[in-house]
Amino acid sequence: MTLLELDSVSVHYGRIRAVHNLSLTVEEGEVVALIGANGAGKTTTMRAISGIRPVSSGRILFDGQDITRMKGEKRVELGIAQSPEGRRIFPGMTVLENLDMGAYARKDKAGIAEDMERVFELFPRLAERKDQYGGTMSGGEQQMLAIGRALMARPKLLLLDEPSMGLAPQYIQQIFRIITEINQQGTTVLLVEQNAQQALARAHRAYVLETGSIVKSGTGKELLADPAVKEAYLGVG
Amino acid sequence: MISSAQYLAQDSEPWINTDTFINLFWANTIGGLEYGSIYALVALGYTLVYGVLKLLNFAHSEVFIYGAYATWFTFFLLGFRPGPTPELPVGELIAYLVLAVIVAMLVSGTTALVLERVAYRPLRNRGAPRLAFLITAIGASLILQQILFLWRGSNPEQAIRLLRPETLFNVGSASVQNLTVIIVVASVLMWIVADTFVNRTRFGRGIRAVAQDPDTAMLMGVNKERIIMLTFVVGGLLAGAAAVFYMMKIPQGAQYNGGFLLGLKAFAAAVLGGIGNLRGALLGGLLLGIIENHGQALFGGEWRDVVAFVVLVLVLMFRPTGILGESLGKARV
Repeated sequence: MTLLELDSVSVHYGRIRAVHNLSLTVEEGEVVALIGANGAGKTTTMRAISGIRPVSSGRILFDGQDITRMKGEKRVELGIAQSPEGRRIFPGMTVLENLDMGAYARKDKAGIAEDMERVFELFPRLAERKDQYGGTMSGGEQQMLAIGRALMARPKLLLLDEPSMGLAPQYIQQIFRIITEINQQGTTVLLVEQNAQQALARAHRAYVLETGSIVKSGTGKELLADPAVKEAYLGVG
Repeated sequence: MISSAQYLAQDSEPWINTDTFINLFWANTIGGLEYGSIYALVALGYTLVYGVLKLLNFAHSEVFIYGAYATWFTFFLLGFRPGPTPELPVGELIAYLVLAVIVAMLVSGTTALVLERVAYRPLRNRGAPRLAFLITAIGASLILQQILFLWRGSNPEQAIRLLRPETLFNVGSASVQNLTVIIVVASVLMWIVADTFVNRTRFGRGIRAVAQDPDTAMLMGVNKERIIMLTFVVGGLLAGAAAVFYMMKIPQGAQYNGGFLLGLKAFAAAVLGGIGNLRGALLGGLLLGIIENHGQALFGGEWRDVVAFVVLVLVLMFRPTGILGESLGKARV
């Protein structure tokens, strides 16, 4: 079943067109990767899905419902959570408060406590640092917190924007392992990555974005083997 | 006919009056706390709105003065008139004061809400630049003043007093009056409630989230517009309470432009403590109240306001973000 569908979506920043006639689908249970160079429109696409950036034309459907004009905060209630580019941890809040923010739209106390436990199981490091302020944590820890915070919304669709950016290699491995684990526990994932190697290896399907448009799509394996993709994004060829 | 030497000698009062400063040290410190706690409550409104919108809400001084008028009219409608202070049983007195606080909070809270809706929200919806907000704030401040002016004229409402001054105890050479204790204790309690609300409740977390990162707050499901509304209302409620304490201290204080200087000082207090910081508002308010009282003792009454702002400038030279630093979210660090 299709969970998310973007139908010829365009997004503008003023007169500059950042995303042009972009169409993609994410099926329930999948990990889908969106790869591309800097400025290809990956983050803009994510912001449009979450409702931070208005869409200038096209439609966004989630769970069969048209959410194109829906306010961002309402989309969270429907089940879309995002761990944004640059992590965007609330610097003046503790780890615990940041995680509570993730569950802001929820009222089910028991479920929230359950998910808090789950996040601490996925990221034991966060459990050790409950009372530390977000602004004082390392990049890797902040990334864990950003993903954990998004999971606290108990989303149907988890949007991850550049989860490996700026991280030390041991963290990158760990983050990708956890993404697979989250997906196996039943959460659909749409992943934006510059680290195409890792992303394609973990994703069921992937789209390649160039200057605001999709230029290629296929399964992760297909794209890993694609000569053009290899040359442009995998640093071989 | 006096000689020129005698004439000059008449004006030979020392420039710095250390005797007055020392003699009145305790009296001025206590009096400063009293004024300071009123500044602190009003400062909270500036700080909350600044934290969330990065907006200097100049019209907050009018939100405050509307509360002062609400207080006066509550007393008036309860049957009290300008003139000698009536003898009231304690229970009755408390009931009237609590009623005044409730009415003033409602009036100021509503004023703040309407202000946000009518003046600022349309600008936000159009993505107006920061400067437009600032000019609008000044304009809104003047409009709210002129409404009072058209309705009640330029003279202050005549003083209505409910509380008979009584000395409760002494500190050093100074006597502490019942009014002082009421104002300081009630203000600090109000501040504690506000601080707890912002730091310990869900809506408070929403306020801090929007203050720290509005886009990410939206990703968490925070309704930014609702949070902004809430922030204005909370600031208004606190200003309303402050207005009642102000009217008990200065019963002739209900004047159409009476909020201006007090608002300016409360804003200075917020900056002094660190704008966007709730603890800073309390500290800045109390400090400013004490400093200007001592400044008056040292340099004379005409220097009272000057001293307050000179201290502000000096502090900002060395700590540009105020004594406790900025940021609503970091209030607990």
